[in-house]
Amino acid sequence: MLATSANSKLVDAARHTWSRTIPILRSGVLAGDFCRWHSRAEVAAVFKRSIFLRHDDAFVCLAAPSIGNGPLTLIAEFNPSGLRRGEPVSVTERDIAIGDTRFNFDRWELWRPPPWPRALEYGRLIKVCRSLAVRMTADAPAEGLGRIYGQQTATARIARPRVMRFESWLRDTLATDRATTNLSSAAVHDLIGMGHGLTPSGDDFLAGALAVLDALVERKAHAALARAITAAPHGLTSPLSHCLVSAAAAGHVGERLHLAVSAITMGDVDAAIASIRTIGHSSGWDMLAGATATLAVVAAANAA
Amino acid sequence: MSVIVNEVRRSTFLDSIVLMRISRQIAALSGVEEAGLVIGTPANKDILQEARILGADGDKAGPGDLIVALRANDDRAAAAALAEAKRLLDHPEISGVPTSENTSRSIRAAFQRLPNANLALISVPGHFAPSEARKALALGLHVLIFSDNVAIKEEVALKREARERGLLMMGPDCGTAIIAGVPLAFANVVPRGNIGLIGASGTGIQEVSCLIARAGGGVSHAIGTGGRDLKSEVGAITTLMAIDALDADEATNHIVLISKPPADAVAKLVLDRVAHSAKPFTICFLGAQDLRVPANARAAATLKAAAELAMGKILTNEPAQPPLLPFGRGKLVRGLFAGGTLCSEAQIVFGRAGLKVTSNVPVPGASPAADGTHLMIDLGADEFTRGRPHPMIEPAVRDRPLLDALADPTVGVILLDVVLGYGGHADPAGHLTKLLAARDQGQVILASVTGTDADPQSRHEQVHKLTEAGVIVTASNAEAAELAIRAIGG
Repeated sequence: MLATSANSKLVDAARHTWSRTIPILRSGVLAGDFCRWHSRAEVAAVFKRSIFLRHDDAFVCLAAPSIGNGPLTLIAEFNPSGLRRGEPVSVTERDIAIGDTRFNFDRWELWRPPPWPRALEYGRLIKVCRSLAVRMTADAPAEGLGRIYGQQTATARIARPRVMRFESWLRDTLATDRATTNLSSAAVHDLIGMGHGLTPSGDDFLAGALAVLDALVERKAHAALARAITAAPHGLTSPLSHCLVSAAAAGHVGERLHLAVSAITMGDVDAAIASIRTIGHSSGWDMLAGATATLAVVAAANAA
Repeated sequence: MSVIVNEVRRSTFLDSIVLMRISRQIAALSGVEEAGLVIGTPANKDILQEARILGADGDKAGPGDLIVALRANDDRAAAAALAEAKRLLDHPEISGVPTSENTSRSIRAAFQRLPNANLALISVPGHFAPSEARKALALGLHVLIFSDNVAIKEEVALKREARERGLLMMGPDCGTAIIAGVPLAFANVVPRGNIGLIGASGTGIQEVSCLIARAGGGVSHAIGTGGRDLKSEVGAITTLMAIDALDADEATNHIVLISKPPADAVAKLVLDRVAHSAKPFTICFLGAQDLRVPANARAAATLKAAAELAMGKILTNEPAQPPLLPFGRGKLVRGLFAGGTLCSEAQIVFGRAGLKVTSNVPVPGASPAADGTHLMIDLGADEFTRGRPHPMIEPAVRDRPLLDALADPTVGVILLDVVLGYGGHADPAGHLTKLLAARDQGQVILASVTGTDADPQSRHEQVHKLTEAGVIVTASNAEAAELAIRAIGG
């Protein structure tokens, strides 16, 4: 009996002896909310430098520092190779436990992007748009939205009119004096879930558009676009991408996109492109396509 | 017979780069015509549908699912490709397609990569096009600007600069050119031959070059000038340089000019230059009244007539018997055109038959749209394409006007054009026939198909689809208009 009790204590002790304890270094605002609201999750996807944890339709990204900070990202020095998709995850405000690995919140910092810098005047931003468009045409991957005007792929044929409808919608939105508009959101919904990639190109495009509207303090247009995105019917995009684009609609964008848009509004095209190149394979370019299209419309409307 | 295969993987999240690599690898396999790996969102199903690789299984996928879609030559190739896709998805680490793109950051870098290039094609938003064109000119390159929305002052400045450098500036808004057998922008696959074309109109060049090709002839070069080159402000700079070029070209024996009627002073300038050539010309200024041409030139009233004069023979008329209008239908003709010049040509055919015709883009003698007359609509005009692509790229632009015409009891004949070639929609006839499938057997529907069997869409296949759907297909746009007139007893 005594032996049995001792064995039981040993087992209990072993349960709490983690083979790996990894400190979480930084947490985005929405990542912190995920950990407060959900006690369990599962590993939804495992990549080279990151994993995604899922609870219903909510996601959080646990990533190595090289991925960059984001509103839904928890940064930790770790290698995801030992983790498996489908593994159960225990979540508390103090730690995240996956198998025998514990990520603790003992010394984390909250990450928020800095305020947007003061933007150049619109006449100069039009020239920035011109440079960005040329760079995109030359450098963006063929699969995304950065090169839809030079290609005859099925994606380009579908995407071109939708991007043009979005630009038209944005022009109309900027032109109306009312704080809320009755303009159809179809032009926005048509982009959601469109295109290749883990986060479809259209979703990334909208994230770029939102970031530019926020940076240029186009509050009415930002609110209209955010409303259109949040009111979109369920099922237009993947749950993971929905989570990310919803965050952007709520005013939360990742560090790399924030850097890129800040550089754009200050006229530093090279810095913007350098930052864009660090965001996935085509996601950054798709964000840039959205940012450039939006900047062109806003700058033209304000310069006129 | 192509085979479409789809496989759906539920709740699959893979890195974008992995999906794109596998997609490219599968598309490159022997016997595979098209392939794509995307998540199953409604918008992506539109893309797969557009690429003609969406099957029933893929159509049922949800937005969290991954669709593997491909089209192959036959069952065996499809099965092999799907097996390879599964293998790569199960072991994404073994997909290792190089990702570097054969692109350059600038025209200068592209020129360094291709130092023997002598032409730059510029297709960027219009307000960026002039600066790129200037860079190309500075490198000694001829330029084709596909972009529209370039200010006319910029166009004049660019063309003057090009002329000073001895270079050809095709465009802005140059939709079609064939240089030394290489199709640029919207153009058809036509054999090389001894007829040179110069056109301010993209679809005009396409129709004439295709009629020539189908009649057994060929094209030496087709030089697009842009729609405004014959306006007074521009003064036909490119047209005159193109005449010089084709006049000096040994491979060109006959030159065809295609345009809307120019300003009088510009017409004189052009025709004076024509008169100084030793070569025969065909002048097709669509809608021009009382055009006097030099002795070495003949005037053509229609695109079809221009092709006939260039070929020196009458092109076949078909079919011989006009279709019968169904009982209870009106006798008005509604033309719905993707090609602006084809719309103009139809108006001219009606005008020459003494019939009153109206249009949103009227030729001389026609009037702006009004009720109660034959109506020819150019669906490429701004009011239809603002915020949308051109109907040659997106045939859905014609859907609403076509449905309206089908529902209009006063309309007895509907005239359509289907324009094929590089840059156009992959299956415009397929799109049309889907829309027409739901119609009652009300109106007579006539169509012309501008293209050749060698085009990516194959004219033969497109015509077959249309005739299967009960559409009467004529050999040319002018013949479709003539047949419409005969059908209504005109």
